[in-house]
Amino acid sequence: MKEMALAMVGIGETRVISNFRGKEEMKRHLQDLGFVKGELVKVVGENASGMILLVKGVKIALNRGLASQIIVE
Amino acid sequence: MSYVIALAGNPNCGKTTLFNELTGSKQHVGNWPGVTVDKKEGTYKKNKEISILDLPGTYSLSPYSAEEIIARDYIVKEKPDAVINIVDATSIERNLYLTLQIAETEIPMIVALNMMDEVAQRGDSIDYNKLSKSLGVPVVPITARSGKGLNELMEVAATVVKNKTVNKPIDVFDENIKNAVQEVKAVLKEEREEDKDWKALKIVEGDEIITATLSDSQKSVIEGIIKEAEKAADGDTEAKIADLRYQFIAKLVKQAVKKANKGYSETRSDKLDKILTNRILALPIFAVVMYILFACTFSENFLFIPGLPSPGIWLAGLVETAWGTLSGALEGFLVGAGASDWLLGLVIGGIMDGIGAVAGFLPLVLVLFLLLSFLEDSGYMARIAFVMDRIFRRFGLSGRSFIPLLMGFGCSVPALMASRTLESDKDRKITMMITPFMSCGAKLPIYAMFAVTLFADQNQTMIVFSIYMLGLIVAILSSFILNKFVFNGEASNFIMELPQYRLPTIKSVLIHAWEKVKGFAIKAGTIIFGSTILIWLLSNFNFGGMCDMEESFLASIGNAIKIIFAPLGFADWRASVGVVTGWIAKENIVATFGQLYAGINDEAAIEAISAGEQALPQISNVFTNVSAYSYMAFNLLCMPCFAAVGAIRREMGSIKWTLRAVGFQMLVAYIVALIINVVGNIIF
Repeated sequence: MKEMALAMVGIGETRVISNFRGKEEMKRHLQDLGFVKGELVKVVGENASGMILLVKGVKIALNRGLASQIIVE
Repeated sequence: MSYVIALAGNPNCGKTTLFNELTGSKQHVGNWPGVTVDKKEGTYKKNKEISILDLPGTYSLSPYSAEEIIARDYIVKEKPDAVINIVDATSIERNLYLTLQIAETEIPMIVALNMMDEVAQRGDSIDYNKLSKSLGVPVVPITARSGKGLNELMEVAATVVKNKTVNKPIDVFDENIKNAVQEVKAVLKEEREEDKDWKALKIVEGDEIITATLSDSQKSVIEGIIKEAEKAADGDTEAKIADLRYQFIAKLVKQAVKKANKGYSETRSDKLDKILTNRILALPIFAVVMYILFACTFSENFLFIPGLPSPGIWLAGLVETAWGTLSGALEGFLVGAGASDWLLGLVIGGIMDGIGAVAGFLPLVLVLFLLLSFLEDSGYMARIAFVMDRIFRRFGLSGRSFIPLLMGFGCSVPALMASRTLESDKDRKITMMITPFMSCGAKLPIYAMFAVTLFADQNQTMIVFSIYMLGLIVAILSSFILNKFVFNGEASNFIMELPQYRLPTIKSVLIHAWEKVKGFAIKAGTIIFGSTILIWLLSNFNFGGMCDMEESFLASIGNAIKIIFAPLGFADWRASVGVVTGWIAKENIVATFGQLYAGINDEAAIEAISAGEQALPQISNVFTNVSAYSYMAFNLLCMPCFAAVGAIRREMGSIKWTLRAVGFQMLVAYIVALIINVVGNIIF
C-alpha cells in the first residue's frame, strides 16, 4: 500500500506505522508510547488542535505537525 | 529490618492511588533536587519499617523527560530494596514495556497488576502465573482504588526483599543484539555484573547519557561493535531493541490475556470523548467547566444570586472573621494588661496580620485545588490541555497554561500553584512570570478609587475594563518575548496520553488538595509572614522609635525613591509608599492613600473608597488622568503581593528564578507605565 503521512488519514481509519521523519528524541518517545514500525494505529478523533489516535489500546492525542512526521501505509 | 520500596509505573496507572492507600496520611512531598518534580515519600501504614517512595510516572527508562531520568537514576544508582512496578491491566501491552526495562536493571521487583476490577467488568481474564513465569518476577493482581490485594502485594514484596530475589534475565532479544551486548560488556569496567549488563544494553541502544561516561578508548572499540550490530538491525539498533521488546510483549499478552470481546469495542470513555473533544462542542463545554471552577472559588455572586458568596469566598470570609475576632480579643487582653504601644503594634499589626495574610489565602487554595484535582484525576485535564493547545501554541505556551492564567483573574496565589500541572519546564516558568499580569481581585479597589476620583466624567467601566485588557495584552506579548529571546524555544510538539475517564476517589482528591494547602502554608507562608512584619516595622518606626507613617522609615524610603517614578508621572513620596504597601496586599494601596493624602484612618471610609462609592479628591492635586492611569498600570504589572511571590518561590523551586520573575515583572511594569505616561501626555 502507498505511504502517506498519518495527518492525512481520515477519522475511523486504521493504518500500519512504517516510518518516522523527525527528531531522534521524539522518535524514542513515540517508541515508548507504542509507536513502532509495523504497529496498527487508528484515528479515533480530530479537532483544531490535532488528532486522537488509538495505539496498543491506549488513546494518544498529538498535534497535526507531529502527525505529519509519522509515515503510515 | 527497615527497607525502601520504590513505586514505578506509567502515568495514569494508578500509582498515586496505590501510594495513598499504602501510606495513608503518613507521607511527605518534597522536590527532586534541581527539578520541579514532586518527590513523594511515606511509610507503609501497617509497618513503619517500610519506606515507600513514589517515583514519577514514566513510559520508559530512556532519557526523554526529567521524570524518566529521575526514575532511572533512582533505580540504577540509589538501588531501592525492591521496585513495585504498577501495571494498568486495561492497557497491559503498553505498560509492560516499562516492566521489561525495569527488569533489565536486574533489581528485585514485583509487578502489581492494577485496575483488575475494570478487567473483570469487561469480562476479560489474565493468567498471572503465565505472566509471572515469563517475566521471572512475582505478579500480584490488585485494585488500588478499593484497596483489594494490597496486603498480599506487600507480603510478596517483603519476601522479595528478604530473599533479594532478582529475576533471571528475560530472553527478549535476537542473537545479533545479544552478541553486541556481550561484546560491549567485555569493554566495561564496572564491578557488579548486573550494572555491566544494563549499561551494555543501554550503550547498544545508543543512550547518550551512558555513552558519555565512557573513556575515549572504550568509545572507539564500542563504536565498531555497534556499527557491526547496526548492519544486522536495518541500520538502527535502538528501533530494533524497542521492536523486539514489543514483540516479546505481544506474544506474552496473547498467551496470558483472554479477551471477552475480540475486537476493540467502544467504551464509555470513547463516547464521552466524542462529545468532550468534539471539534465544535469542546470549547463551549470547556468554557462552562472553567466558569464553574472560577465561580466556585472566587465569585461573590455565586449562582448569579447577588451577594451570595462562593464556597471559596465564604470560607475565606469565615477565616478572616475568626482571625479578626481572635486578633480583637488579643488586643483587648493586651490593652487590659497595660502593654506598651509598640508591643501592641507588633503583636496585632505585625504578627497577627502577618499570619492572617497567609491564613486568608488558604480557603481559596483549598477550594480551587479540590476542584482541580477532581479534573486532573478524572482524566478531563488531559483533554483540556489538548483542546486548548491550538490557541496557546500561537503564544508559545501549551494548552495547560490556560488554567493558571484564568485563575489569575481571581487570585494569583492558587493560580501560580496551578502551574504545577504544566509538563514542560519552559511553559511553567513563562506561565508563572505572566500569571500576575492577570488583574486579580485585590487590584480592583485601586482602579475603583482612581476611576471615581479622576475619571468621574468618563465611562468608568471602560477605564477599569481597559486595565484588565492591558494586563491580558501585556501577558500575551511577554509570553512571545520570553519564548523567543529568553528561552529560545521552538514550538514543542504536543503528545499526550488521554487516560480513560474515571470517577476520582474522595480520598485522593482530599489528599491532593491538602498537600497543596500545606505546601503553601509552610513554603510561601514564611515569605509572606516575614515581609509583612518588615513592612509593618518600616511604616511604624523611625530612628526615634514608633511614629506615624508620615515620619516613618517608609516615608523616608518613599522620598528617596520617588525620583525613579518621575518618568512615569508620579514623583510623589506617598505614591511610592503606596507601591510598597501594595506588596503586602494590593488593596492596601487604597488605605495608604487614604491615610497619607487625607488623614483617613476610618475603616468604613476606606471600604467606601475601595468599592468606588466615595472619591478621594485629595489625590487629584497630585495625579492627572494620565499619571493615574500610569500608576494603575504600574501596580497591575509590578511585583505581585508577597503571597504571590511566595507561591512563585515555592513553584519555581529556585530563588534565582524567583528573582528573575520579579525582576521581569518590575521591568515590564516600568516600561509599560513609561509608555503610557509619555504617549498619554502627547495625546491629552
